[in-house]
Amino acid sequence: MSVFLSFVPENDDCGIDRIGHLQKRMNARIPVICAERAEILTDSFRRTEGESIVMRRAKAFADILDKMTVYIEPDSLIAGNQASVNFAAPIFPEYSFDWVISELDDFENRSGDYFNITDDTKERLKKLESYWQGKTHKDEVLRNLSPVNISAEKQGVLHRGGISMSGDGHIIPNHELVLKIGFGGITEIARKKLSNDGITDEQRDFYEAVIIAMNGALRYCKRLGKCAALCTDSEANEKRKKELLELSEMFRDFMENGARNFFEAVQTVYIVHLLMMIESNGHSFSFGRFDQYILPFYENDINGGKITKEKALEIITHFFIMTNSINKVRPWGHTEYSGGYPLYSALTIGGMKPDGTDGTNDLSYLCLEAMNLSKLPEPNLCVRFWEETPHDFILDSARLIRKGFGMPSVFCDEVCLPAMMTLDIDLETARDYASMGCVEIAIPGKWGHRATGMTYINFAKVFEIVLNNGTDPATGISLPCFAGNTGNNELSAGYESYDDLWNAWKTALKYYFSLAVDCDTVCDRSLKYHDADAFASSMVDDSLERGKTLKNGGAKFDYVSQSNIGMSVVGDSLASVKKLVFEDKAINLHDLKAVLKDNFEGHDGARVRQLCRNAPKFGNDDDYVDNIVAAVFESYLELLPGRKTDRFGHGPVGCGYTMSTSNITSYVPNGFDVGATPDGRLAGKPLNEGASPCLGADRNGPTSVINSVSKLPNKKMAGGQLLNMKFSPGALRGDSNLEKFALFIESGRLKNIFHNQFNIIDSDTLRRAKENPGEYLDLMVRVAGYCALFSTLTPEAQDAIIARTELDW
Amino acid sequence: MDGFISKLQRYSTNDGPGIRTTVFAVGCPLSCLWCANPELIGDAAKFLYHPRRCVGCGACVAKSNGAIRLTEEGLDIDRETADLEECSVVCYYDAYERIGGIATDKELVTGLLRDKAFYDQSGGGVTFSGGDPGMQPEFFYEVATRLRDFEVHTALDTSGYFPWEKLAPLVSAVDLVLYDIKTLNRTLHKRYTGVDNQLILENAMRITDMGKAMTVRMILIPGVNDSDDEIIGRLKFIKKLGNHVKLDLIKYHKLGAGKYASLGMIEMMEGTPECTGDLAEYAANHARNMGIAVSING
Repeated sequence: MSVFLSFVPENDDCGIDRIGHLQKRMNARIPVICAERAEILTDSFRRTEGESIVMRRAKAFADILDKMTVYIEPDSLIAGNQASVNFAAPIFPEYSFDWVISELDDFENRSGDYFNITDDTKERLKKLESYWQGKTHKDEVLRNLSPVNISAEKQGVLHRGGISMSGDGHIIPNHELVLKIGFGGITEIARKKLSNDGITDEQRDFYEAVIIAMNGALRYCKRLGKCAALCTDSEANEKRKKELLELSEMFRDFMENGARNFFEAVQTVYIVHLLMMIESNGHSFSFGRFDQYILPFYENDINGGKITKEKALEIITHFFIMTNSINKVRPWGHTEYSGGYPLYSALTIGGMKPDGTDGTNDLSYLCLEAMNLSKLPEPNLCVRFWEETPHDFILDSARLIRKGFGMPSVFCDEVCLPAMMTLDIDLETARDYASMGCVEIAIPGKWGHRATGMTYINFAKVFEIVLNNGTDPATGISLPCFAGNTGNNELSAGYESYDDLWNAWKTALKYYFSLAVDCDTVCDRSLKYHDADAFASSMVDDSLERGKTLKNGGAKFDYVSQSNIGMSVVGDSLASVKKLVFEDKAINLHDLKAVLKDNFEGHDGARVRQLCRNAPKFGNDDDYVDNIVAAVFESYLELLPGRKTDRFGHGPVGCGYTMSTSNITSYVPNGFDVGATPDGRLAGKPLNEGASPCLGADRNGPTSVINSVSKLPNKKMAGGQLLNMKFSPGALRGDSNLEKFALFIESGRLKNIFHNQFNIIDSDTLRRAKENPGEYLDLMVRVAGYCALFSTLTPEAQDAIIARTELDW
Repeated sequence: MDGFISKLQRYSTNDGPGIRTTVFAVGCPLSCLWCANPELIGDAAKFLYHPRRCVGCGACVAKSNGAIRLTEEGLDIDRETADLEECSVVCYYDAYERIGGIATDKELVTGLLRDKAFYDQSGGGVTFSGGDPGMQPEFFYEVATRLRDFEVHTALDTSGYFPWEKLAPLVSAVDLVLYDIKTLNRTLHKRYTGVDNQLILENAMRITDMGKAMTVRMILIPGVNDSDDEIIGRLKFIKKLGNHVKLDLIKYHKLGAGKYASLGMIEMMEGTPECTGDLAEYAANHARNMGIAVSING
């Protein structure tokens, strides 16, 4: 059987054996904690007290690049490392450090996403603790968060995720620019700007910081070149020796100007990615439309006879594999929200070009082949489909999906474009969108930090509080607003009708949304200081033009979204109450609440739970409940107009809010906080994932799921709408089933589906993998908007994935 | 008009071309010992009992007048006397599953049209299966005719064991017939399906004489109908039906075996192994050599 999806190689330029070795080694990568970056940065910060933050960060960045360990990964054509060894996670003490110290002894014993750490590393990190006391981003956030916000967090409604503990990430660099002029060219632009009369202090600091950061980056590349040259001496293999020599040649003046050929262009994309992830520890640094901006280099080399298609495939595959050498460590509390060491580095292929024609090209196909060869969680490969997408491209994508590791995920232009255009973005610009992270989309090279994943709102918890007249039954906390001036408002008065309940829902959601916006603002303001990143900012329009970091308003477009969790649970629960309490009168609200409080215990609990389970459920193409779930979405969407971020009026277009359901694995821990719900869900069980139906609720197969999801306001979800479906392997076996699956995806596109991703693994295999992780180390699954190795997930997340309805058609 | 059906299976990929919805009709004139849907044999609603869902609460026992006993191994149900309808009402854990419900032709058509976009995109449609939809010819004639108004492709999966005048209108109302030929041997057919096969074979010829598109579904059961005589004999019959007739080989599987216990029935095929891929491929090769268009399991 061919190792390719459909590619037929005509020569041996793509070294399959070597890719196999690299893949295997990367698959068995060992996560460790690395203290280097933290030490160098702290040392640098000690020396730059009193200077502007953008300068301090740029100097620290350059110091890190000058002093950190550099090495060339054996066998790899792609060079560049983030930390001292493969898959080591650097520490970013400037964002938050208390958890690093308090979890030092726990990293190795985590139930998911463990990290090895040596005693030496622990000691080195402990020495830095005193310096960062009270100085971190998290300290600043906690100083400014209001007590009522803290209470909402205690209730389990709001969760700050990573935004109070790490950098923002969520950047797609302007690759066209970097590839054209290099770091050297960007330095030149900054120099020219500096010589302009009348620039402000902020601009001066920014441009000087850009020059420092770019020079640091150039020196890092030279270090890589020297390292490659050194490796040459001891290399016995002639072919490898030659490759190392080429690397050392290339890195001699790498990025002083633009990229000179295909190989260098791909290497540049990797280096830019890597450097951004040394500068800051945000995630979702994404690659944008790789097949579009690399194409000119590819065509030039192919037409000039400088490279073969096979060699190009080898280079892309090495690049894909090497993106898995990068790592990030998060606090345990946040890890539960995003298991599987995710970096969410989305790489988008296919789709419409800005001129409205189809952009699918040779590289689009080669990227599918590269992913098929690399079989690792990063990059997060995304395909864009639309009416003119070649059927062969859809079939190859389906062949890759059939391999069962969850990629690619599918974005539908006909839905994503209108979603983008709900923002102030014109059609031509919207056509250039790319995935940025999981399911969020952005305009590459023109978008500010953090498209989504601001404050998380647990919709199911809000509903539970509404049902309990304003008080959280778990904590007993009741927030002041719900008492009202008279102590009697719609929440505390009890519900005589479904309309009463629905109005109370809207009141509560509005209230918690405002708190979430307050939380966003607090975090955003703090990051304005702590994420003042000259390198990343200069990669996005119009920071260089304006002389501003992204967080100060440097981006051309700037929209954010929070992450909303549990809309299907809320919709199903509302439908249950509407039908059972107010229409059928099968049970009264008081008794229902009592049964929920007891988690459906006892014989009567079982009776009520059966009623609840049999009530209409989202995912079965039942308008009754589907319309309620859609109304839950709308109840949030209508709160957004007019809400502005801190950057409003400072340059970018927008600075407002949109909606997203990219809630990663948070639907599992968010479920821990929510008691039994009227949809029949037991206390503590997971909520639903993204816009997907509740676990096990969809009983009519995949077409009904599509039909239900198609009724949601997907064309307003510019922050990304997540749908995750799971199929048994038999469903895609053979050419005929593959063709039907491809046409199923096409039908979904025509039916208003924003995004869809697929797990093709039977639940028995997953159960076995949970029992015997050692035998299933390479089993990769779709988690939420990204893929992870199954064995690295927490047991709870593993169970949730197993429970997700298996659609065996 | 009312029909008696058990369920709709959406995204069916093995019951005809494209993406289809399969309607499972309750009731079948045959009672094949290997039947994968034994709950649909006969013409009354049946109840599956799922021991894994049962918590042993005793609610059904209390209502059963001694027909159901709670034992160490679980429930002991006397299906002759127990009122399982009542049991399914008092059970809060869904341990009793009622098979079969009434649907009007209008309701059914509305439900089937919900996936029209998928049929259109994939060249699919609706398949009537079961059980045997031929047991309710007027109802399915009505449904097929209504679907035709919406340009939905329809397929009829039938045993063909009906008087021709009953079956003919239904056949004329659908676009494709999926037709089971289980064995040409009369004795064997009677022993394994409970009925004679002459009418079935005659009706097959009548359907093809109408010029109706047909796919013969030929089940392969080790030890029952997998001899060369059985395979080649049936292939010759198919060839004789006409060159436009396609063949779909169905591999006997045991996925439905668990249902027999849930129905309180004895599974008669217990020692029979599943059909292997090799056997199916062997039969497929014979078919190809005879110039018959063949697929395996759809």
